[in-house]
Amino acid sequence: MARPAQAICSVGAGAGFAGDRIDPALDLVRSGLIDTMALECLAERTLVPAIKARADNPQAGFDPRWKRRLSPLLPLAAQHGCRVVSNLGAANPRAAAQAISGLCRELGLHQHRVAALVGDDVMGLQDHIQWAKPWQGQLIGAHAYLGSLEMAQALDQGANVMITGRVADSALFAAPARFKLNDQNDALAGALAVGHLLECGGQLTGGNFEPIGGAHQAPPLSAAQYARLGYPLAHVYADGSADISVVPGAPGIVDVLTCTLQLLYEVHDPAHYITPDLIVDFSHIQFEVKGPQSVRMHGARGKGVPPMLKVAGFVEQPGVLADVEIGFAGDGALARAQCAADVLRRRLDALPAHACQIDLVGIDSVLRGNARVAAAPPAELRVHISAACDDAATAQWVEDEVYALTLSGPAGGCSVRSEKRPRLAVVDGLIDRQLVKTELVWGQA
Amino acid sequence: MRVGDLASGRSGDKGDMLDLSLVASHPHHYEQLRQYLTPERVRAITAPCFDSPVVRYEVPGLNALKFVFPQALPGGVYASMHAGLHWQKAAIWLLLDHRMPPTTGDNDASVG
Repeated sequence: MARPAQAICSVGAGAGFAGDRIDPALDLVRSGLIDTMALECLAERTLVPAIKARADNPQAGFDPRWKRRLSPLLPLAAQHGCRVVSNLGAANPRAAAQAISGLCRELGLHQHRVAALVGDDVMGLQDHIQWAKPWQGQLIGAHAYLGSLEMAQALDQGANVMITGRVADSALFAAPARFKLNDQNDALAGALAVGHLLECGGQLTGGNFEPIGGAHQAPPLSAAQYARLGYPLAHVYADGSADISVVPGAPGIVDVLTCTLQLLYEVHDPAHYITPDLIVDFSHIQFEVKGPQSVRMHGARGKGVPPMLKVAGFVEQPGVLADVEIGFAGDGALARAQCAADVLRRRLDALPAHACQIDLVGIDSVLRGNARVAAAPPAELRVHISAACDDAATAQWVEDEVYALTLSGPAGGCSVRSEKRPRLAVVDGLIDRQLVKTELVWGQA
Repeated sequence: MRVGDLASGRSGDKGDMLDLSLVASHPHHYEQLRQYLTPERVRAITAPCFDSPVVRYEVPGLNALKFVFPQALPGGVYASMHAGLHWQKAAIWLLLDHRMPPTTGDNDASVG
């Protein structure tokens, strides 16, 4: 299989979140089928530890896994003439680009040019952010979702590596196509649809996927296949249509169903998907099977550029959230666990009811027992408590009460695990795009 | 009959919002699901798990329905009181596991 001559751009998805596997990107580059490798490494929540790291050290605040991911990738990408685009710059793309320029020198890539897109941090424009609802606590960061234009400019000017902070995930993938598309909104809409399809990596190619009626069968891929799941790539055409496939020779499912599920993933209104570049109508998109692991996509429509950019704000609320579990095993484990949960309710009745949740992992901790229950009780299960506490001392008391069950509760309480987290909320807002000033910063290897 | 016998699905989220997709492979099954899974019924199905209004989007061209719950995840996943936070990745099973009655006059049940 070769890169189609008419394709304006061939882009691969080498990562769908910050901690994603390293090897799928290498396999994509080795295939020789792509000219741009996009790495999506910045979930909504991933910015929070990055913001905190930057507050402690002005040279930190980007994905700490960057070196592990890029050290094997950059030489291979250089060898295949493949550019790398990633949002792993997180809260500090400028510092990330400096560090990556240094890595390029170490790797002997002396001609490499690394660009950083800055300007998504809008903490300095707080007064201009229209929040969707009022919130309480301390705002620790606010980042606007940027689009593909500046990235496309940097790639056009010869960037080998393009690093961003908060941008729309789809923009990472649309950027390499942007200046080669027909000058029509529908073509850009198609490139953004490609980005939306690819941004979650393996979730397009058979990961997190159960076929229709699949509850009655084994999972659609074997453990050996999931362990080597191929990641997706797209050949994009000037009209915004694309051929979607998986890296050749790797296990994976690319069919109408996997593509449709990923197209609709987290878009809310499919006829009005708002991205910084364009509002896109996905509802007329069609998928046609081209081969065993290949689907053609066309029919995205553009509906105009939104006047406002979305802002994600992170608010630290006072107090601590305690999340503690204790295990039970052996005959009668369910009855002992239910009893232990009841003991905790009695011991912790001073906590306000709405601030405390107690349930059984293995019975009702995820769907509240709403899913069908197995005929036999599990041989092992865990009692879980989460408590929103006013202070660290209260969170410690909650943890201590769970530990006390091992001596003074029903028999066999074991394997206690405890996590005490700051109380964080993500708040949505909007900002006038004219106020958000972006800049490309260049590093030289 | 399980909803999951007619459709596949996926859970997603953004901020406070839970976002569920169902995709059938045949227009007939899409229509069955569209008629049965009214917003009112879906709110009742999900009520034991969370309390939120629901907005339904119909995408007949893709045999798909979307259900968006703007208040299902108050404060976003970080604020969740569930064990290990990210319970919403399994939320689609609230719908997939739901038993729906066979449609009367359904003479095309073997399709798909």
